[in-house]
Amino acid sequence: MPPRLGKLDAEAFAKTGAREILGYKTEPWTLKKAQIVNLNHEIDDDLGDFLLPRTMHPAIPAYATFTVIVCAESPVGAFALGEVKIAGRAGVRPRDFVLCSFCDNADARRELAERWGYPTAPGDVKLTVRHDRVIGSITAGGRSVLEMEMLDRDMISGNDIQYLASMHLARKNDDGQLVLVQVDPEFTFARAERGRPLIRTLDSVACGDTGGHLKLRNPISMSYAIADIALPKIRFICDPERPAFQGTTRVAA
Amino acid sequence: MKFGIFYEISVPRPWERDTEKRVYDNCLEQVMLADELGFDQVWAVEHHFLEEYSHCSAPEIFLTACAMKTRNIRIGHGIVVCVPQFNHPIKIAERTATMDIVSGGRLEVGTGRSATWTELGGFNVNPDETKKTWDEIVHCLPKMWTQERFGYEGRSWSMPVRTILPKPYQKPHPPLWVAVTSPGTEIDAAERGMGSLGLTFGSFKEQGEKVRNYRRIIRNCEPVGEFVNEKVSTVNFLYCHEETEKGVKHGRRLLGTFNFLAAQLLAAREAYPTKSYPSLGLLPTLRQEAAGPGDDHGVPEGIAIGDPERVLRACKNWESVGVDRVNFLLNALETIPQKDVLESLHTFAKHVMPHFRDENQAAAAAGGR
Repeated sequence: MPPRLGKLDAEAFAKTGAREILGYKTEPWTLKKAQIVNLNHEIDDDLGDFLLPRTMHPAIPAYATFTVIVCAESPVGAFALGEVKIAGRAGVRPRDFVLCSFCDNADARRELAERWGYPTAPGDVKLTVRHDRVIGSITAGGRSVLEMEMLDRDMISGNDIQYLASMHLARKNDDGQLVLVQVDPEFTFARAERGRPLIRTLDSVACGDTGGHLKLRNPISMSYAIADIALPKIRFICDPERPAFQGTTRVAA
Repeated sequence: MKFGIFYEISVPRPWERDTEKRVYDNCLEQVMLADELGFDQVWAVEHHFLEEYSHCSAPEIFLTACAMKTRNIRIGHGIVVCVPQFNHPIKIAERTATMDIVSGGRLEVGTGRSATWTELGGFNVNPDETKKTWDEIVHCLPKMWTQERFGYEGRSWSMPVRTILPKPYQKPHPPLWVAVTSPGTEIDAAERGMGSLGLTFGSFKEQGEKVRNYRRIIRNCEPVGEFVNEKVSTVNFLYCHEETEKGVKHGRRLLGTFNFLAAQLLAAREAYPTKSYPSLGLLPTLRQEAAGPGDDHGVPEGIAIGDPERVLRACKNWESVGVDRVNFLLNALETIPQKDVLESLHTFAKHVMPHFRDENQAAAAAGGR
């Protein structure tokens, strides 16, 4: 029996969930002193398969990652990015498939999409640090998409945090080819905390889950960090309809 | 240098009524053959919820069946997850003592703490706590085995004074081991006078360094038990066939299948930021590139797959860096047909084991044991 693979119809999903990428030759960016709040939450295993492209295998158990990043500096000025990602495996490598992404800066939205295939939509993304909690939120089209809180803040080492590389469904501008772009940023941590995860609001339809497949189950963990983020050159792309073992192409060293 | 076999008990989908039974039956048949061929130990892991990768959640039952069907091979219960939500310490002491009795004193006890969120989350365990609970339990276990009456007030568990029964058949108690997955755990093993049950690969150089470190530290250890078990085991794959091409082809399929399955699991560290799990646990376990550069066939030098000459070379290399025992994984997802697994064991025993036999083994092979 073939191994479990995602069941997402990439072409259908791409109609609203993919942006155009201008080739794979982008230069790296460095985002200094970005604030990152990240929540991992188990989701329904069987339904979760419908949120992963056929390139990827589900993690056991399936889980989603909710992230808010605030970048005070970038080549296009300050911006905030909110993402909902489904964790999986590309072959034997842990990877996050970006289900949806919101950004509050139009220039950043365009650059992130054209350079790395980020599927960003306009949205108001906020990260608030209070003495007892860190709050991340996304609002889009007047609706609250995500509200999450990290409670009981506790200092940890940045070495303890592991963020996965992400996979962005994007359409190549010249030939219209639908691809999964692997983006594996590097993080240099200046501060790291961990806390108890709490999701107050999640509008899964606004995240592109029109089929009702994103069902939260068991909360796992939440972290807050301040880090320099190096958005790298693109090294690998995958065919969204084929398992990563067969459908991965190296595009740069 | 001795050789053992090592079971995750990997069961392929679809899970029909007979699927798990067939896999368990195959494993038992392999164990019986390994016993006849002079393999020294059989180990079975304890894992929960690890779909396809390991359906070995009650290894004490499987290993008891192994003990009942064999005469000489030692029974490696390992690792037992030393986390009270998984196994209450009293039950660990009682269960292992019983296994030691019914096996006629053939039990080895491996200890550990689980490395996946899949399992820790399933038992509602805080990953920050597992190293501490493991440490408490391994300090208690020998006392529970050897003292007539035992009581304890600790951090993760406590009990009033009671008589824990039965007591192990081996005196003073069975040998104790620690699963070594995370970097530095070999030091934990050495400091406590326990055997190092390696579950990951490094290069020979790296492994040699670890073994030297282990042996240096264990000289000044404070043993948790009544004796020091200074032994270093490592785990490997085994597929040995007289035809090089077939040996490599089957062996690589085994290697690839295992690595793929291990990668689908959710390592504790991936999901839960904690200093308690410095490595990715099962994810890099036995990964091909961790075992050194490949040969002409693309097989890493440390992996025991291929023809007997190649397998012998790999084992000699492990011996040269100070490893006492290699435990072999024989199959994953039943990717190698049972008859080929049995043939591989025969080929290994015929062509490779004689190069390592000590006097006891030679005597046993000659029917003297």
